[in-house]
Amino acid sequence: MAELTLTVNGNPVRSDCAPGTLLSGFLRETLHLTGTHVGCDTSQCGACTVIVDGRSIKSCTMLAHEADGASVTTIEGIANADGTLHPVQQAFRTHHALQCGFCTPGMVMASVALLARQPEPTDADVRHGLEGNMCRCTGYQNIVDAVLASAKSMKGVQA
Amino acid sequence: MNAPASFGKSQVRVEDQRFLKGQGRYIDDVNLPGQGYGAFVRSPHAHARVLSIDTSAAATMPGVLLIVTGAEWATQKFGPLPCRSPSKVNRDGTPFKDPARQCLVHDVARYVGEPVALVVAATAAAARSAADAVLVDYETLASVTDRGRAMAAGSAQLWPEAPQNLCLDFEQGKRADVESAMASAKHVIRLDLENNRLTAVPMEPRGAIADFDRATGQYTLWNSSQNIHANRDLMAAMLRIPKDKLHHLAPDIGGGFGGKNSVYAEPIVLLYAAGKLAHPVKWVADRTEAFLTDTHGRDQHSNVALALDDTGKFLALHVHSIGNVGAACGTMGPFTPTGGSARTQGGPYAIPAILYSAQAVFTNTVQTDPYRGAGRPEAVFHIERVIEFAARKLGIDPVELRRRNLIQPEQMPYTSGIGLAIDCGNFPAVMDRVIAMSDRPGYAARVTASAAKGLRRGFAVTPYLECSGGAPQEEAQLKFTSDGIVLLAVGTHSTGMGHETALAQIVGDRLGIDLHRIHFRQGDTAATKIGGGHGGSRGIELGGCAALKAADMVIDKARTIAAHALNSRADDIAFGKGKLTDSKTGQSMTIDGVIAAAGDQSRLPAGMSVGALDSTAVFDREMFTVPNGAHACEVEVDPETGVIRVVDFWAVDDFGSVINPMLADGQVMGGIVQGLGQALLEEVVYDSDSGQALTTSLLEYALPRADHVPRMKIEFYEGAPTKRNPLGAKGAGEAGCCGASPVIVNAVLDALNDYGVTHIDMPLTSEKVWRAISAGGKA
Ligand code: FES
Ligand code: FES
Repeated sequence: MAELTLTVNGNPVRSDCAPGTLLSGFLRETLHLTGTHVGCDTSQCGACTVIVDGRSIKSCTMLAHEADGASVTTIEGIANADGTLHPVQQAFRTHHALQCGFCTPGMVMASVALLARQPEPTDADVRHGLEGNMCRCTGYQNIVDAVLASAKSMKGVQA
Repeated sequence: MNAPASFGKSQVRVEDQRFLKGQGRYIDDVNLPGQGYGAFVRSPHAHARVLSIDTSAAATMPGVLLIVTGAEWATQKFGPLPCRSPSKVNRDGTPFKDPARQCLVHDVARYVGEPVALVVAATAAAARSAADAVLVDYETLASVTDRGRAMAAGSAQLWPEAPQNLCLDFEQGKRADVESAMASAKHVIRLDLENNRLTAVPMEPRGAIADFDRATGQYTLWNSSQNIHANRDLMAAMLRIPKDKLHHLAPDIGGGFGGKNSVYAEPIVLLYAAGKLAHPVKWVADRTEAFLTDTHGRDQHSNVALALDDTGKFLALHVHSIGNVGAACGTMGPFTPTGGSARTQGGPYAIPAILYSAQAVFTNTVQTDPYRGAGRPEAVFHIERVIEFAARKLGIDPVELRRRNLIQPEQMPYTSGIGLAIDCGNFPAVMDRVIAMSDRPGYAARVTASAAKGLRRGFAVTPYLECSGGAPQEEAQLKFTSDGIVLLAVGTHSTGMGHETALAQIVGDRLGIDLHRIHFRQGDTAATKIGGGHGGSRGIELGGCAALKAADMVIDKARTIAAHALNSRADDIAFGKGKLTDSKTGQSMTIDGVIAAAGDQSRLPAGMSVGALDSTAVFDREMFTVPNGAHACEVEVDPETGVIRVVDFWAVDDFGSVINPMLADGQVMGGIVQGLGQALLEEVVYDSDSGQALTTSLLEYALPRADHVPRMKIEFYEGAPTKRNPLGAKGAGEAGCCGASPVIVNAVLDALNDYGVTHIDMPLTSEKVWRAISAGGKA
């Protein structure tokens, strides 16, 4: 066990954690943030995507200790303080971009990071940008539409 | 206030709120106090005799609580894993072969991944390490994984009672008529087709937590299953416990597509372990375990023969398939390649004589069981590929050849050549509409534009027809609480399809209650007595109709309560838009007023007591519905590399009345992309020499990703609602994957027409396409 200090969804966290623990496991089991899902063991599916210091990361590819001192945002941390949905979450809902919801937290986090990098993506940019996130239910089209729509709505807010 | 009618309108989903915030509760999110963790020891061999198991080292490892081996399992004499195949009689009248498959292997392991022992430990890591330390001594045996070789002389035999590995020798249809039509027809076009082995790959792997209460003898099983009630009955029978002593329930399910329908060994072994330990035991599959042990689907080889006259009219169809059942019968056993593939043979075409025959064979592979469509996509593939092939051979335009043979609307109701009773539909209108959507006038210019990039463009349109299925009975309950909430419980099972919204829409619309006041419960043997779960696109058709029936029972009772309050007669009370009105006096009462009255004994008529509005309905399906449609697509193929891009996709689907178009769209798109996966990317592969599984991760098994997928344009044809159920709905869940695989393959072959390539087996990987082009000769 070694001590780990980081910020998760804006809250300071200090915790003991075994050295080999994956960030995904730490979030799910130690912090009980079960919105981060684990869908594979080969870093393929993207269900575990979170944002670490502004970059989207598959949390199953990172040790919890590598996030020491970092700021981590998970699906539980992006809604507004009053509980209303983040524009990307809202767009996923309006566009029916989720069915079973298992890939959704990873998709939403990857989309938030994508829009931070690329505020005005094209259809092809979104498809390319979400290549690391698999969805077996939706056929992706509504996810792409949701990301494109949130790009528009977020631009409106920022302007 | 009355709720606006939401039926037939796109309605954002109720369940999304929790899924989007990370508050969904899937099996790995369920934890019970004091739980232990299970890890399975699995056979590394395709076919091997277990000589001995040495658990001594594992048993002393830290944290280990229990080890259950196949030998111990055998001493318990539990029942074998059940097979419920509706097709079970050979063509000679003898019964099919259903060898006893145990939850844990005691004598012979018959596929890679078959469970041999369970280790339970205090942590998941300790359980895994101890499972790896269990020493199993195997004597390896010759194996056969390929269905084509299973019946050959000299091939490995899996079961002594099943000579030639034959499970079921099936036949349905008019053999004599087909043979005589074939003998005298002007043309008989023959084509051999592979239907590649797939696996459902829900993004959430399977898992379960079992618990046992020694004081009451009550078992509880949380299970990522889509078939809670039926599987409870089967598992309880296997373990010899009374049904009511097994509480089976599912949390949110992260996708299923058939892969979570079956009765699996793991949850049953967990129940046994929980019983021994009297505390909870949890197991969640990793992705490798999922690839090895989730049921697989498709895996058929078919010889298709279509007889035509000199005008291109279809006279007869014969399809003979060999289907791979796996190492023993799964829960639906040999059904998919036999009866499941028979029922919609011939599709939407008027073919007087059809014969479907099939041999289902055992191999050293995991069980196959229904995967999205379960035989209907296979049947669509047979007819649509042979028509396309025939059109090219005979020099007839493929669309024209289809048009000449579609069943016409004035022929409805129509019993197909294989015996499917089709009640309604307008197949020519549906095909014409998808052709109109696909901008034929602009096609020549698009071909030229593709050619300028060095690419070949191809187009195809394929109609499809399927039939809904699944268990024929369903229950829905409505209960009214004092705080205005309506509890809706059903025995159907949504694994992402949005029933929490769609079924609430149906009830809310009927009762005039805002759907957000309707709270939904499913997948729990304590919530409803009956439950048919998921499968065969039955959710809306059965769950929806049961919910509607329950709402109608509520309305009947509401009229009596209103009559009492208004000093009138129930017969004079009319109900509409959430209001009960005395047609004589014009006095009225809202449904909420009645709900409040129903909670107050002093306001109820004699013979009714508090809770009188609560209603339980059971709906029985009399006949399957026949969803149908037509899909069209354009592809570009790079002849230098064999790389295919699907550039456009159009679909027109007839699902009868559509409850929520947004959800129906989602079902179609998801299905199309699974069909695209089958056509271009996906295949489960076993090494035919060693029997080793080669596709055991998402690295080796190629799932479609966002950039494989074209923009899909979808419309619904609502001109032919079915009268087979009160909603007029035909099942929507499986249509997409019926149409997509053949239309994509046909479009690719259209693009390759100039190269003399007339057939390539799925998946159409770039390597196969490139090889076919090279071998085609004409470049
Ligand atoms: S769990 Fe699949 S990529 Fe992390
Ligand atoms: S919504 Fe089910 S995997 Fe994406």
